[in-house]
Amino acid sequence: MTNNNVPVQEIFPRDPSRTYGLMELVKGTSPMVDKGPEDTVMSWPNLLVLELLAALGTTVVLLLWSAFVKAPLRELANPNVTENPAKAAWYFLSLQELLLHMHPVLAGLVMPGLVIVLLMAIPYIDRSKKDVGKWFASKKGRKIAFWSGVYTFACLIGLVLFDEFIRVRSIVSQPEAVPGWIIPVFVNAGLILLLYRAIRRWRPSRREVLVGLFTAFTVTYFTLTIVGVFFRGLGMHLVWPWDLPPGALPF
Amino acid sequence: MTTGNGSIADFITRNRIWRSIFRQGYPDNDENRAKAIVNSWFLHIHPVKVKVHSLKLTYTWGLGIISFVLFLILIVTGAWLMFFYVPSVQSAYTDVQNLETAVTFGALMRSLHRWSAHLMVVVVFLHMCRVFFTGAYKHPREFNWVIGVLLWVVTMVLSFTGYLLPWDQLSYWAVTVSTNIVGSFPLIGEPLRRLLLGAAEAGQPALVRFYALHIIVLPAIMVILIGIHFWRIRKDGGLSSPAEASENGNDKQ
Ligand code: HEM
Repeated sequence: MTNNNVPVQEIFPRDPSRTYGLMELVKGTSPMVDKGPEDTVMSWPNLLVLELLAALGTTVVLLLWSAFVKAPLRELANPNVTENPAKAAWYFLSLQELLLHMHPVLAGLVMPGLVIVLLMAIPYIDRSKKDVGKWFASKKGRKIAFWSGVYTFACLIGLVLFDEFIRVRSIVSQPEAVPGWIIPVFVNAGLILLLYRAIRRWRPSRREVLVGLFTAFTVTYFTLTIVGVFFRGLGMHLVWPWDLPPGALPF
Repeated sequence: MTTGNGSIADFITRNRIWRSIFRQGYPDNDENRAKAIVNSWFLHIHPVKVKVHSLKLTYTWGLGIISFVLFLILIVTGAWLMFFYVPSVQSAYTDVQNLETAVTFGALMRSLHRWSAHLMVVVVFLHMCRVFFTGAYKHPREFNWVIGVLLWVVTMVLSFTGYLLPWDQLSYWAVTVSTNIVGSFPLIGEPLRRLLLGAAEAGQPALVRFYALHIIVLPAIMVILIGIHFWRIRKDGGLSSPAEASENGNDKQ
């Protein structure tokens, strides 16, 4: 446990008329070992002012937003009139996008389940305390994140376009397990493996490997959400955002 | 202790009523600043002192606090919306229409609730990204990260259950699409779908179930998880900072 309760200056008050020398360096298990002088400030007012500002800022932004943009309300629910396209809430549109390309169990259960389990596993995979509190761990981490993002984005756009204009199912549709399970699993696993191999060439730490993989996850979530929200029209086919049928935006 | 200089602050903070509520004078010295935190039910979740580093805007971007503020806004506006809304397929839609047209500030409050919900999904995700990319999940914060992942999921599910309540075409078909995905799972899929909807199709039973989940079950889970989340931040020694990197004997740079 960190123990910052012993203010160094108060045990040894500084006196400008004296000089001080460092007498001895000791090894030990005191809580102050390996720590520099305290680097803390009082929470009141330093932290509380920032919290208040965050609260006020958020409230003001939302008030303005809500005053100018009204929450949507469509026609009364009607089970007999199917919406086309029928879209889920925007934060689930990446899953709905997966659904277009693979078996529903893979898209709706295996993939999100894996993502949640792997996210939770992150701190148990990367157990070192190196580079805590440093954005992207290192310069190398930054580069890995950038190129992993570029790679993921390019792959996804390629896959989405391929399955729209060439269509996996027009090449093989039988048996159902081939386009539903085998091809998506192999393509995705292959692309991730390729990414992993590429990252390994940087001789990264575990943390830097995770930086690359997590970036791939966020870029996937982002890209598929954008595709789902702005580029899927009638029958969930690809269209330009300006050609979307009226009411296709899910908010 | 107060300033004792006859200022307005002094006048306000030096009387029995103020003291009966706050138990300490105006926080203009470190002792009272510390007391202002530990003596307050609302503030005592904070440590008395914080690392300078954890106040850096470019470290947290305030995303955790903003998530929490959004949750508070959602509770307040949500409770207000409940005064005007009955979860019945006969009246839900017209209740919302009335909010838009007849209730004073109805449209504003509904918009606030809606946009805060969307924004919260975004901000919580960004907060997760900042925690990941700064390596703040590392020991001893492993479990708080796990709690965090649950918070992310609960935030989305909470938002999703609210989506059905206006009972318009957008809600109806979004929920139909999503529950159909659940229904396609092997074995448990169909029973699970029916459990969620309370019937074969989205209708009155689904509306009541989503309503109960949305206004009490999930918010209660959220409050508990946020409680644990904040408590763990304290127990894990405040926010992470680069100073910790060298603390661990076996992995020093
Ligand atoms: C309702 C959702 C959430 C709320 C209200 C919330 C709130 C907060 C707050 C106020 C902090 C303090 C520092 C900061 O602002 O960054 C924090 C830190 C933290 N949060 Fe969250 N959080 C939420 C969701 C999450 C999620 C989704 C994750 C990760 C998956 C997460 C993991 C963490 C961790 C590990 C810390 C400690 C960071 C450090 O020590 O630097 N939280 N959270």
